[in-house]
Amino acid sequence: MRTAKQLLPLLIAMAALLLLFGLWVPNFLHHENMLDLVQQISVNAIMAFGMTLVILIGGIDLSVGALLALVGTTTVYVLTRGGADAQSLSWMVLAILAGLCVAGGFGTFNGLCAAKTKMPPFIITLAMMLVARGAALRYNQGRPMHIPDHQTVFLALGNGRLFGAVPVPVVVMLVIFFLAAILLHRTRFGQHLYAIGGNREAARFTGIPIVRNEILVYVICSTLAGIAGLVHTSQLYSAEPASGVMFELNAIAASVVGGTSFTGGRGTMYGTLIGAILIGILDKGLNQAGIHFSSQYIVKGLVILSAVYLDVRRR
Amino acid sequence: MKTRWLSLAAAVAVVLAAGCKEKDEAGEAGAGGRLFGVTYQTMNNPFFVDLNAGMKQVVEAHGDRLITLDAQWNSLKQRNDISDLILQDASGVFINPVNWEGIKGSLLQAKRKQVPCIVVDAPVKDMNLVVCQVASDNVEAGRLAARALAKVCRPAKVVVLHRSVNKACIDRVAGFKEELAKYSDMEILDIQEGKGTTEGARPVMRDLLGRFPEINAVFPINDPSALGAISALESAGKLKDVTVVTVDGSAEGIAAIKAGKLLSTSAQFPKEIGRIAAEKMYDHLEGKPVEKDIKVPVKLITEENADQFLTER
Repeated sequence: MRTAKQLLPLLIAMAALLLLFGLWVPNFLHHENMLDLVQQISVNAIMAFGMTLVILIGGIDLSVGALLALVGTTTVYVLTRGGADAQSLSWMVLAILAGLCVAGGFGTFNGLCAAKTKMPPFIITLAMMLVARGAALRYNQGRPMHIPDHQTVFLALGNGRLFGAVPVPVVVMLVIFFLAAILLHRTRFGQHLYAIGGNREAARFTGIPIVRNEILVYVICSTLAGIAGLVHTSQLYSAEPASGVMFELNAIAASVVGGTSFTGGRGTMYGTLIGAILIGILDKGLNQAGIHFSSQYIVKGLVILSAVYLDVRRR
Repeated sequence: MKTRWLSLAAAVAVVLAAGCKEKDEAGEAGAGGRLFGVTYQTMNNPFFVDLNAGMKQVVEAHGDRLITLDAQWNSLKQRNDISDLILQDASGVFINPVNWEGIKGSLLQAKRKQVPCIVVDAPVKDMNLVVCQVASDNVEAGRLAARALAKVCRPAKVVVLHRSVNKACIDRVAGFKEELAKYSDMEILDIQEGKGTTEGARPVMRDLLGRFPEINAVFPINDPSALGAISALESAGKLKDVTVVTVDGSAEGIAAIKAGKLLSTSAQFPKEIGRIAAEKMYDHLEGKPVEKDIKVPVKLITEENADQFLTER
């Protein structure tokens, strides 16, 4: 019930924006356009779910955008090796696992540094962002890496439609959303995260294993960035070492607009999903209304600012 | 609680206000006209700003509307932007791709919805999915540079400062070599990576001077790297013995020509590229056949026509 009350203003804002663009842009509310909207936000939303967990415990992860590129390039690198074996489905699974292992490795390192040292997460992940970006750019001299056409299953991850109707990225996003929502709102692990974010010292004294939880949170965040990277790579029919620049900021924006408090301890998965949708509606609506790109940045900036203002006023 | 609602209302009002103002401006240009969209890899480059101006002129002259979008080097944003344009029933989309392979999904979507696409400035890998490509005639730009050099500098010992990852630069060097092959007394001593930037070209030029003291001509593939080469030649006291020719036509390049440091630059015409792309789109929509690979002429700029070129532009 408490969550419903928290979400109400967000839902109203979403309805208001939909109404506004519905009246303004012809066919804006057409089901095809709406489905495209959900498809467009999927990569950002997947990253934002992980980011929400990190922000919730008072951290931040700036490395996810670069990691998205690194996971994509690593996966395609493995995918295009191995000669005749590379045609098989098991090889594709191997390639995906290789990519996600890299993500897990970065997550573990970020989490270990954040939990065990006094370095602020902002600086740790800023540095790891550079490391991941550099590693991604080492592939193919920084140029896009082609995914062979016979990799139909991998290409379907970003471009296919389930039952010929629902885009696969949307399915992936929804599955991750449900898992993340259960993890955060229905398990003891989730409760511990709120406790850590609310008051770290108090959480320590009540015997919550802070180090373990913190590492786990960063690993989840990195892995979700990796999954977003797989979807993104498939959508582009190629791995792009230079992609994902500023994606971390979009993920943070979705999370914060969705009501996650930047100081930790407050936020929901539902809110983040709506936050991502709100930003998606703004992007799509302003584009389709023919607003000049320069004004779009200003409007988006002001909307994010008002959302954070709300967050501060709530206290 | 009350303030929360107020702030939300304020946020929505801001969007509304910003939106309505823009709509009025756009509405004047082409109420009821067709919609076209263009997406650039970046708008942080005067070349694309000029290209867009040329395109917009033609579209608005037809009473239609052009939406200009900035991909900010982000392939995902470009993909979403194009999808927004297509679902808004755009009559045509112009694309300057961030990732020449990554754009495939968007091209397939456009094809499904029968929205014609024209590529400007940079190619895409799947050319069968687009109406045509409009870009500078970079091969000719290289030829013009070689011809200008041949007039004043023979016999010639030339070095090239390349940027070999870029298709446009590859074409420029190909044209340059092709023309040079016609003269038996002009030879290329070496081709090195100058990175296409002033700071990248400078040290490379200095090294080349050390290795080949007989150098008397340089072809850096664009104006910025020409400025780097000139700076290296100046500091070595060899600028008067070495002739520099290049491609671009930027204000800095023209200034170097007027100062007598650069012999020529083969100028590109971004506004013209935009204008031609828009015209080809209208031709295609009217069912006229359109050539697949359209090369926009370049023009040799030397001391003689530098001032004239500046005023024409």
